[in-house]
Formats: sequence, C-alpha cells, structure tokens
Amino acid sequence: MKSALAVAGTSLLRVSKDRRALLFLIVLPVVVILIIGATVRGFSTIRVGVVDLGSGAAGRSLVSAMEGSSNLEVQRYPTLAAATTAVSRGEAATAVVLPRGMDAALRAGRSADVAVLANQSNTTQQAAAAAVGSVVAKEGARVQAAYFASSRALGTYEADLRAAASLQRSTPQSRVLSRVVDASSQTLPEGFSYSAPTMLVLFVFVNALASGAVIIETRRLGLYERMAAAPIRRAAIVLGETLAYFLVALTQATLIVGIGALAFGVSWGNPPAAAALVILWALVGAGAGVLSGTLFRTPEQAGAIGPPVGIVLAMLGGCMWPLSIVSSFMRELGHATPQAWAVDAWTDLMSRGGTLGSIAPKLGILAAFAAGLLLLSTLRLGKVVARR
Amino acid sequence: MSEPGNAPLQAQEGEGAPVLSCVGLAKRFGQRSAVDGVGFEVSPGEIYGLLGPNGAGKTTTIKMICGLLDADAGSVRICGRPLAELSVRSLVGYVPQDIALYPDLSARENLAFLGRLYGLRGRLLDERIAEALELTELSDRGKDRVDAYSGGMRRRLNIAAGLLHHPVLLVLDEPTVGVDPQSRHAILERVRSFGASGMAVVYTTHYMEEADRVCDRVGIIDHGRLIAEGTKRELVEALGEKDRIDLVATGDLRALAAASRAVPGVERAAEADGRVHVVAGDGRSVLPALVEAVESSGVTLNSVEVAEADLESVFLHLTGTALRE
Repeated sequence: MKSALAVAGTSLLRVSKDRRALLFLIVLPVVVILIIGATVRGFSTIRVGVVDLGSGAAGRSLVSAMEGSSNLEVQRYPTLAAATTAVSRGEAATAVVLPRGMDAALRAGRSADVAVLANQSNTTQQAAAAAVGSVVAKEGARVQAAYFASSRALGTYEADLRAAASLQRSTPQSRVLSRVVDASSQTLPEGFSYSAPTMLVLFVFVNALASGAVIIETRRLGLYERMAAAPIRRAAIVLGETLAYFLVALTQATLIVGIGALAFGVSWGNPPAAAALVILWALVGAGAGVLSGTLFRTPEQAGAIGPPVGIVLAMLGGCMWPLSIVSSFMRELGHATPQAWAVDAWTDLMSRGGTLGSIAPKLGILAAFAAGLLLLSTLRLGKVVARR
Repeated sequence: MSEPGNAPLQAQEGEGAPVLSCVGLAKRFGQRSAVDGVGFEVSPGEIYGLLGPNGAGKTTTIKMICGLLDADAGSVRICGRPLAELSVRSLVGYVPQDIALYPDLSARENLAFLGRLYGLRGRLLDERIAEALELTELSDRGKDRVDAYSGGMRRRLNIAAGLLHHPVLLVLDEPTVGVDPQSRHAILERVRSFGASGMAVVYTTHYMEEADRVCDRVGIIDHGRLIAEGTKRELVEALGEKDRIDLVATGDLRALAAASRAVPGVERAAEADGRVHVVAGDGRSVLPALVEAVESSGVTLNSVEVAEADLESVFLHLTGTALRE
C-alpha cells in the first residue's frame, strides 16, 4: 500500500506542477460555468399556441395577459388545424382556442368556453395547460368583477373592467415564493444551477480522458519498467496510478461544487446524496482516464481524441441541453452514457429535492459504469506495466 | 529483519554464492529466439561486460536478470536466491538504457519517488538521496527539474537512481548512449569505482573501447547466444594474436570489404562506420596487397590504421561482423 501511495503521490505532485493541467482542472470549467450560466435560460418557458377565431376585446386581453406571464411564450396560429398540428409535433406545449363572440358573450353575462389543447399522456403538456388555466382564471376574475359592477349600474362594462384590472393590480396579495421542487420537473434549475452540475459532469470526464496522456508518457519514458524492477507488486503500480486519477477527478469535482456554491449560489441538494454522486462520478472519471491511457498510443492522440469523445458523450448525456426536450430515441440513446444518469441524478437532487434513497437507482447504474470502466482499465494498465 | 533499502545486509543470506548466476536463460518472442541458453556468473566487485550488436539479445538478457521479463527456460539467482522472491529485487540496481525519470520533477523528487519504491523513508531516504547526488556530482543541481539538465547530467542521474538502495548488483544497460566524451569519461570512472567498492556490475555496451576500459570480464553475445566469455587477455590468446587493419575510405565499402577478404593472409573483413575492419595474422605483410585491393575496388583511401588485437578484433573474429553493424 505504501508503494501505491508513493506512485499516486508522485502523479499528484506532477499534476500540481503542471500549470496547463490546473487551467483545465479549475479555470476553464469555472469560465464555462459562468458563460453558460449567464446565457442559457428558458428551458422552463412554455410555448403556448393561440388561435383567435374572432374573440374580440376579451380575447385580446387574455392573450395580453398570457404574454405578460413570465413562463409563457405565445405563438399565434391562423387556424385550429395549424395549432393542433403544432401541439402534436411538440412545437407548442399547448394551444388556446379563443372562440368567436367571446367578448360579446362575456358582456352579456354568458359563459365563453376557452379550449386548451393538450395530450393527456404528456406531463409537460398537462403542466402547460395548467399554467394557461391559471392565466385564464385570473382574467376571468376581472371579467366577473366588471360584469358585477356594470350589472349594478355602477358604470359601463369597459370602465368597470379597467377598474377591476387596476384594483387587482393594487390589491395586496399573498405572494407565494416557490423554488422549483415539484416532482414533475424534467430539467435542472436555470442559470448557474444548470451550468454548474452539467459542466461538472462534462469536465471531470473530459479532463480524465485527456489526462490519459500522463500514463502514455510514463510508459514511453520507461518509468513503468523501472518501477517494475523494484521489489513491489505490479498491482501496487496499477492501484497507485488509478488512485491518482480518482483523486484528481474528485478534487476537480469538489472544487466545482465549492466554487458553484460559494461564487454562484448553486444549491447542490441533499449533501450526503450529492457527496455520493460526486464520488461515484470521480470513480467513473478515473476509470475512463486510465482506460484512455492504455488505449491511445501517443500523448498527442489522447489529447486530441479524448476531449472530443468526452464532449460527444456529454452532448448525448444531457450536459449541453436537457434530455427532456429531445426525442425519445435520443433520450434512450443518451442513457447509454454515464453522463445521462449523472445529470438525471443531479436533476433529482436540485430540482425535485431528491435524497440518497431517491437517487439510489441512478447511483447504482453509475456504480456499474464505474466498476466496468475500472475493471477494464486496470486490467489493461496491468498488461502495460507487466509486458513480460 | 533487514533495514529497508540496505541491500548488503540482505545479501548476507546468500553469502559464498556468486552475486549473479544465470543458467540456460532462454526467451522467445513468437517464432523469434531472442536469447538462447545464455549463462554466466558475476562475482562481488567484478565488472562484467555483455557485448553485442543491436538485437543480439543483451537487453532481453538484462530484463530477465532484473525480473522484467520471465525466462522461457533457465534461472537467475541473486546471491544464491531465486529471482522469484520479490525481496531479492532490492539487491539489484537497474539502470535502463532510456532516461527513465520524470522530466518535470526535480532530481530530488525523482530520487525520493524511486527510493520509496525500495522501502526507503524519512531520514534514511534523505541521506541516500544526498549520497547518490554526491556520487554522481549532481549535489548542487538536486532541486533543478530534470528537463533543465544536459544529456550527460541526465545519464548520471539515471545511474544515481539505481544506486539509492545500495544494491549488491548494479545492472547498467548501455549507460553512455548519447553522451559527450567528457560525461562518458566521468561515467566510466564512476563504474570502475563501483567495482572497486565491492559492487558487482553487469555492463552492456556496443562500444568496444568502453568494455576494454572498465570490464574485468566480458561475454560476447550474438544472435541470442553467448559465444565467448573471459578476460580480454583470455579471449585474445584463445583466438591467437591477430592484427586489425582499419581502412578509412569513401566509395563502395562493401566491395572493398569483399576485395579485402580475397587477399591472402586476411582472415576476416567487414565494413562499418565508414571504414572496413580487416583481421589478419600479420597486418604489415598483407598491407601492400590490401592497398592493391583498394585500387581495384575503385574506392578512395583516406587513411590506414593498424592496431594490435583487441576486443574489437575478437568480436570480428567470432561473429564475422563489426560490433556496430
């Protein structure tokens, strides 16, 4: 064990002296987290289609209210058929149909049915319909108040409607400040809370693949041969190298978590569960890094091929955009990568208040990825060290 | 229980036996036989030179001695103990042909790392590092990164790393490759001092003058076989006194070698390094005929050197080729 620690310690000493490695370990991830966190928003905005069949002033008022809602983006469609097609294609999460004569009906005290198109089996569309329903209900309250006042000869309908709207705005209301922890959220929170966990997943893996160059260089220098001539077991060399990769990945992940929390106010969720996730991801990174060092022939190959491979896996795995917005085929394909399970676990923790218990299945899958990669990589590194 | 890294104490367990004993070593790589039945012994304080051209089997033999390659047949014993015992490796200091050091670490950091692999810790490790640096005259550069060293300094540090744990057997695989004459001189002097201090040394080289200068005994290896072994005097006497004539020429040296071999009295001739090496019983008597051979082969003769028999001519005699071919 002392020999393995000597091997690991020397590898870590080399990393600590390598300014370029420190740039990729700390500086670059933080810069990318900053840029993506500040620019990428809108995954929780719902696109709502609107078909106005001649609703009049009441319909325009309702559309205006929806456009004023922070989480709704209104897209107008000329016909009901066009709106239905958009919803079925997923171009709009839902569609609101404003009926002909809506304004006249409301003025006359009759009800007007506003149809909302949504797929019953699609939870995103159901959530969109609920959001639209909330806006319609709020607008409906104003209409009812105006109708009540005008029916009691307290003014004209238009003036009472304006008064009701003004009163609604000025009346103190109980505000409910909520974090996104509802069980149906399919994405990470926005801003830095999105970029920090996804970039943690991306950079730990990409950096590990690129640093496979260290193993290749050690082999080319003849240092494994020199180590193997010492009175130590070759397993100690393999263990030491793997331990070094694990500690580098763990250090990088911990730094991103720390900087994310302190500098960007990221809440990483349940601490024990987050810690378990970070450790498992570091093990996945260690396995991938050592494997990279045994698969590529030259340090240049590892540096040139490793990062693109890591970035493609990160794209498939949901580090660049949520897998909830891609097709089911791409979502299933993405879950062939460990990145997807790591991002899913972070989504559980950060968007749905997940715990160690709730993310245990995902941790189990990540553990299987880590075990597979570590087994394969250590067997291959063992062969590199032995060369008997 | 022996002190970690103090090899001489451990070596006493096999006292009376040669430091190194190789018997019938053989190694194949696929269909190719790299080493075939090599066997030799090295005593305490003896410097044993393993001579042979590239691909002769020197490095494969060295790697089997250091436990880096498993022999297909034969055995290696260090101080009477089989190499299979892991602890026996602490008796051996291995200096590979490559500069096997981390270029981005300092000399001290490299030595500290390698020393720890041999069980050295704490103050003992610090003492050994200081000693090894002093021995190789690198004490004042110990904190410098290795990539800031000259080629000769790296070679010396490479040797220092093999000495940290006080081995009883030092195995040097072509330790002077690529170094300047001054550094080479320093390394050879140091190797001689290792032998004088009682350490057994196995030294591979294809520089015959190095073997002439530092080795007490040499084994000549060719095509994986040990074809001759003994002191320089023993080898020269066994093969008879022969003169060596070097024809330094420009032109078709292969044709010149062939023409030289046809000269009566010439026993062998081969070209290497821009010259033709000729072995003859009486060099002076064949010289006129050789000059005629030069003219007939159409090459331009630049100079002629006549030398008494040495290891180079022994090698030429035994293998039919010059060592550096």
